[in-house]
Amino acid sequence: MVNVADKQSLKSFVDTSSAEIKYFESLREEAKKLLEIRPFPTKRDEEWRFTDLKSISNGYFKPIIKDQLDTALNLDEYHLPEAKKSRLVFINGHYSQGHSCIEGLPDGVIVDTITNNENHPKVKEYLAKITNYTDDVFVPLNDLSFNDGTFIYVPKEVEIEQPIHILNVFTNMEVAYFATPRVLFVGEMYSKATIIEEHVGLAQNQYLNIPVNEFRLYSGAHVHHARIQRDSKQATHISRPIAMLDAHAEYHSYTICLGAKLFRNEPRVIQNAAEVDFTVDGLVLIDGDQIADTHSIMDHRYSYGNSHQLHKVVVNDQAHSIFNGKIFVAKDAQKIDSFQENRNLLISDDAKVNTKPQLEIFADDVRCSHGATIGQLQDEEVFYLQSRGLTEQKSRELLVYAFALESVESMAVKSVEELLLREVIAYTNRD
Amino acid sequence: MLEIKNLHAVVEGEELEILKGVNLTVNKGEIHAIMGPNGSGKSTLSKVVSGHPEYEVTEGSILFEGEDITEMDADERAHLGLFLAFQYPVEVPGITNKTLLREAYNTIARANEREELDPLEFEDYLVSKLDVIEMKDEFLNRSINTGFSGGEKKKNEIFQMAVLNPRLSFLDETDSGLDIDALKIVSDGVNKIANQDNAIVMITHYQRLLNYIKPDFVHVMMNGKIVKSGDISLAEELEANGYDQMQKELA
Ligand SMILES: Nc1ncnc2c1ncn2[C@@H]1O[C@H](COP(=O)(O)OP(=O)(O)OP(=O)(O)O)[C@@H](O)[C@H]1O
Ligand SMILES: [Mg+2]
Repeated sequence: MVNVADKQSLKSFVDTSSAEIKYFESLREEAKKLLEIRPFPTKRDEEWRFTDLKSISNGYFKPIIKDQLDTALNLDEYHLPEAKKSRLVFINGHYSQGHSCIEGLPDGVIVDTITNNENHPKVKEYLAKITNYTDDVFVPLNDLSFNDGTFIYVPKEVEIEQPIHILNVFTNMEVAYFATPRVLFVGEMYSKATIIEEHVGLAQNQYLNIPVNEFRLYSGAHVHHARIQRDSKQATHISRPIAMLDAHAEYHSYTICLGAKLFRNEPRVIQNAAEVDFTVDGLVLIDGDQIADTHSIMDHRYSYGNSHQLHKVVVNDQAHSIFNGKIFVAKDAQKIDSFQENRNLLISDDAKVNTKPQLEIFADDVRCSHGATIGQLQDEEVFYLQSRGLTEQKSRELLVYAFALESVESMAVKSVEELLLREVIAYTNRD
Repeated sequence: MLEIKNLHAVVEGEELEILKGVNLTVNKGEIHAIMGPNGSGKSTLSKVVSGHPEYEVTEGSILFEGEDITEMDADERAHLGLFLAFQYPVEVPGITNKTLLREAYNTIARANEREELDPLEFEDYLVSKLDVIEMKDEFLNRSINTGFSGGEKKKNEIFQMAVLNPRLSFLDETDSGLDIDALKIVSDGVNKIANQDNAIVMITHYQRLLNYIKPDFVHVMMNGKIVKSGDISLAEELEANGYDQMQKELA
């Protein structure tokens, strides 16, 4: 067992983790070294001002070994009909072959574990190559201890029609545990894929979920990436999804945050050539004492890039949403068109929001719009609906539902939209 | 049907009276018109009657079918059969007309222990009401009033009235913003809805509307009170002489 904040303990954590690991030794060694020198973030760090990690830094989380997994677990209710033969399932961070099903994908496509593809040239070339978050401990933690992982490879000009469902489920164990899901995606030129990455807590227990995603898109590759976070409301989820795009690539991601006691998401998209198009949208629905913190970076390094970020948030009870959206435009990156908006809806008096756009623009011919709104439901709208006979409660519910709907409709997969509609309804009429 | 007695109202938490002792009785089968200068309190009266929480009644009462509704929530008043066609219909992005109307219709049906309609039955019912004001069915699936032209918003209010079939409707300046053809269509619609069992109170600045929908009574509202009541000739008098003249006569 480890306490990740305590040096001594972190070291023993590192030792226990690496004991099980036989793949990617040099990566693990490197990660160990970084963990020894890098401090654990505290509220004194500018980037962590509003988000207190004490709940995890004081907690003990145990690694789970594969033998402890319940292979008989029935997960039928989590299956997506569109992805019935394109599903990878991970239980507490470990690949579960019995629950997964990959059949009938186009020739040359790989949807498998990373460890099964240890010697694949693209794994060698890209694993842990674009995730260079500075001074960070979470990527090294994942580097050190991810098990199996997901490797998706889409060859040149191949389009995968069915969405690929990466289902991470978390079960109730006797102890608080940690999991480090990993995804490496490589899309060759003009390939096309839809990825549904889901995190589901099956019980309301404590665990620490530290997923890392690396998406490498070559020229003209096109990816739609939906991320659905329905972790246990006692869980801590710290996400590092990163994408690197070559010319004409398109990467559209939509993160939906419903669960976790503490959710910290740090999406990054790197424009690695001229003319790319990307989306980093988010929908956050939180209540109770949940904290949802998004720190994103849209990194325009070359000219002619379009980026879009609509981050919609509904906060109830004492919940707290934090948004920090960085847009970087490098000196010679001209003709960038970047849109950022953070819209917050507070539906209780104690709900809290901190929002901060952060633009660092070194080119002169760019268009960057950014805005943030923090509001309550409009009384006139509530009255209008109520005057038609709807109860006040129902009127408020419908208005919250309407606020969230736009994000739900960008999911592109029918059953995922339906799933989210059910979640939105459950959120709005929970009592 | 409706009995407003010595109604005084202020904006919630403020001192200034907007309604200063309104008296008005409306019986079933009747059509009333209220006219009056800008800021005289016509819209406020309609909102207070429909239960807008922004206003507080400080004196007097509102009886509907003999029941005191002065303290009731807006939705409960709607369940009893009150309806307000807004002077400025509110845009509600993300909720379609159809969703609102189905929810409203069924909530009212439930409250009155009437049969609810399932989605298919409701669809048929809704489509059957489109003709009342020659509304295109594409409006059903659009967000409430969102991006509607001024005239379309007003038409949409009357469409909702046709669907919900209220017992008493306040129509607040439904005519303003409508072109000649639309005014005729909407007036025809209102005439089709009006019957011996319901009642309508129209608020307007123009006699033009009263040529299409004939009122049984015309009231003049000034400075938070109804100062004069009569028949249609009162509207004609106002059209000819204006409010100033009337004010002088009253003083
Ligand atoms: N919520 C409010 N806050 C402050 N003042 C208000 C409010 N509502 C109404 N008033 C004031 O009360 C008075 C009456 O307003 P009301 O809208 O009822 O007038 P009206 O007769 O409908 O006018 P119009 O013919 O221009 O529609 C006005 O002076 C208005 O400014
Ligand atoms: Mg008015």
